[in-house]
Amino acid sequence: MKLIIGYLYGDLMNIYGDTGNITALKKRAEWRGIDVEVKIKNQKSKIKKGECDLYFFGGGQDQAQELVARDLVVSSKGKSIKSEIERGVPLLSVCGGYQLLGDYYKPHKGPKLIGVGLFPVYTEASYDRMIGNIVVESMFGNLVGFENHSGKTYLKKGAIPLGMVTSGFGNNGKDRSEGCIYKNAIGCYMHGSLLPKNPKLADWLLKKALEVKYSKDVDLEPLDDSLELQTHNIAVKKFG
Amino acid sequence: MRLILAILLGKLIGYLTRLFRLGGGSAAPGLYALSIEPDLVTKLAAKIPKNIIITGTNGKTTTAKMLAHFAKNAGLKVIRNHTGSNLERGIASTLIANYQLLTTNYQLDLGIWELDEAAFNTIAPKLKPDIIVFLNVFRDQLDRYGEIDTVVKNWCKTLQILNPKTIVLVNGDDANTAKLANCFKGRIQKFGVKDYKISGESIEHVKEKENLDFEAKNVKLNGLEGSTFQLLTTNYQLPTTLPLPGLYHIYDALAAFACADKLGLSLSKLASSLKSYSPAFGRMEKLPFGYIFLIKNPAGATQVFETIAPNLKPDDRLLLALNDNIADGTDVSWIWDTEFEQLLSSSLRGAKPASTQRGERRGNLYISGTRACDLAVRLKYAGFDPKNIIIEPDLQNTLKEARTGLKGRLFILPTYTAMLELQKILAKSGIKKEYWKEE
Repeated sequence: MKLIIGYLYGDLMNIYGDTGNITALKKRAEWRGIDVEVKIKNQKSKIKKGECDLYFFGGGQDQAQELVARDLVVSSKGKSIKSEIERGVPLLSVCGGYQLLGDYYKPHKGPKLIGVGLFPVYTEASYDRMIGNIVVESMFGNLVGFENHSGKTYLKKGAIPLGMVTSGFGNNGKDRSEGCIYKNAIGCYMHGSLLPKNPKLADWLLKKALEVKYSKDVDLEPLDDSLELQTHNIAVKKFG
Repeated sequence: MRLILAILLGKLIGYLTRLFRLGGGSAAPGLYALSIEPDLVTKLAAKIPKNIIITGTNGKTTTAKMLAHFAKNAGLKVIRNHTGSNLERGIASTLIANYQLLTTNYQLDLGIWELDEAAFNTIAPKLKPDIIVFLNVFRDQLDRYGEIDTVVKNWCKTLQILNPKTIVLVNGDDANTAKLANCFKGRIQKFGVKDYKISGESIEHVKEKENLDFEAKNVKLNGLEGSTFQLLTTNYQLPTTLPLPGLYHIYDALAAFACADKLGLSLSKLASSLKSYSPAFGRMEKLPFGYIFLIKNPAGATQVFETIAPNLKPDDRLLLALNDNIADGTDVSWIWDTEFEQLLSSSLRGAKPASTQRGERRGNLYISGTRACDLAVRLKYAGFDPKNIIIEPDLQNTLKEARTGLKGRLFILPTYTAMLELQKILAKSGIKKEYWKEE
């Protein structure tokens, strides 16, 4: 079996150790004998149907984020991503990537950055910096990470949060929700890096990718995750 | 009067912290004195004939220490904030400790101040420096300093309000510092290395077009011993032997040479004085049983790995310590932007059959610090076998274990507060002096 991971704007959107998520996906697939290819999709690239089996979209600096927001619309990559997600292709987006896949991002000054409209959420700039370790209760059990954002994201009616914050800020620091899940696409504020310390989530993404690609049920071979789970549990205990 | 009162209070607190062994007194005296006299830094710095500021993500302490070494060799009297306490209170503490109450002045020629990326903007206008050095900008503690673009933008704003006669020296090989030429009214001078590209450089840019005022040519890296290169300026060409390993240290040396040149010191004498230079504590430090290399951000750590990896022998051991205190950065995700894979390729070098090789590596990798497990996971994903990784959050125990039965050398790679803790452990066991007593 083989998986192709599309790293959206990997050259611009790769802040706070986000690349660790790609490393985790790649290794966990390879340890099971699944070949992995990572394709960086930048401003010049196109996205074709069925080209990638799993997408990752990280966070970036403000300037990069503006460029990317524009490119998603102009190059119509945003539309292509959306139609891939509609047919079940899994995606993980963190921070800036998550914001750009929502309805819009409203900065302090200037016009709204129109998003892809994949997640039924919108984000507004704020003057609060939400920084620190975060623990979230979700359908994947506890998730641990580190958040660092000032944008506040609000869920629209019918949007499903990825989980509820046990400790930390989450989407907006008010309603305890963190992230959003739509079909097999996940958006969240957890950097740090998310997948190495949350192997259950990493494996869920891999499983969904294989199932969509090969149109059959897939059971992933179990791995020895004692070190990952030890780290995960320490984080839950220390910061939860 | 308020100034004198502030100085007196600062001196008293400094005396008490040392008396009760609370530390080196590198922050508290300044902190309290500043609450009495907020303009203390401006007023005292004005009494020093020349002030130099060194800023950037990596290499500040090494550059400052080397420049101080040059200046002292040339007979100048120097002060600097030399324990890495580079916030305003650290500067104030140093100024207070060296102030002579009897003459109400300094018997000094030069102040060398290392300022972190953020502190630069608030303190540079107060110090009114004669020379500023911008070493580099890398991702470092985004939770504290913010994004790279923001750092550069703020530097730009600060440069605009400084005296255009200030001598500004920038790393011409770092696209971010090179950009600063556009926001300064005066002329900016550049230093760099033409033959090499430094790893972790954030943006690719064409070097051939660059006109460097201070350049290292024919660079030869000689393992852990250091490097040799030709130092090229507009009117000199000087063979130089640097007793510090790694390309990144050449940039620090170039910056120190450039400052010394601007101070009017004789470069040829300086190059020969490098022989007696000893590195800044913990940055690259030789111990009786191995080495300490500070790691604190992706670019710096990757450069350290590049430097030590080719020199690791089968009997050598590695001890890595990751803390998440404020001075380290509370966000440890930077380890995922750091190429720990480099250490792996070297540890497998040596060409023995894979099975015995794996057996030998057992117990050669020790992981410590408040976030030891996070680091162990990172190493697993870099390709290390978790069975060979020994995890022990307590640094003192780890050090003891790592030294037990050690046949080769121990390479200790700590983050900042782990490095300070290590210094205390080493001092307590009589291996070296307390770090604030060095120099």
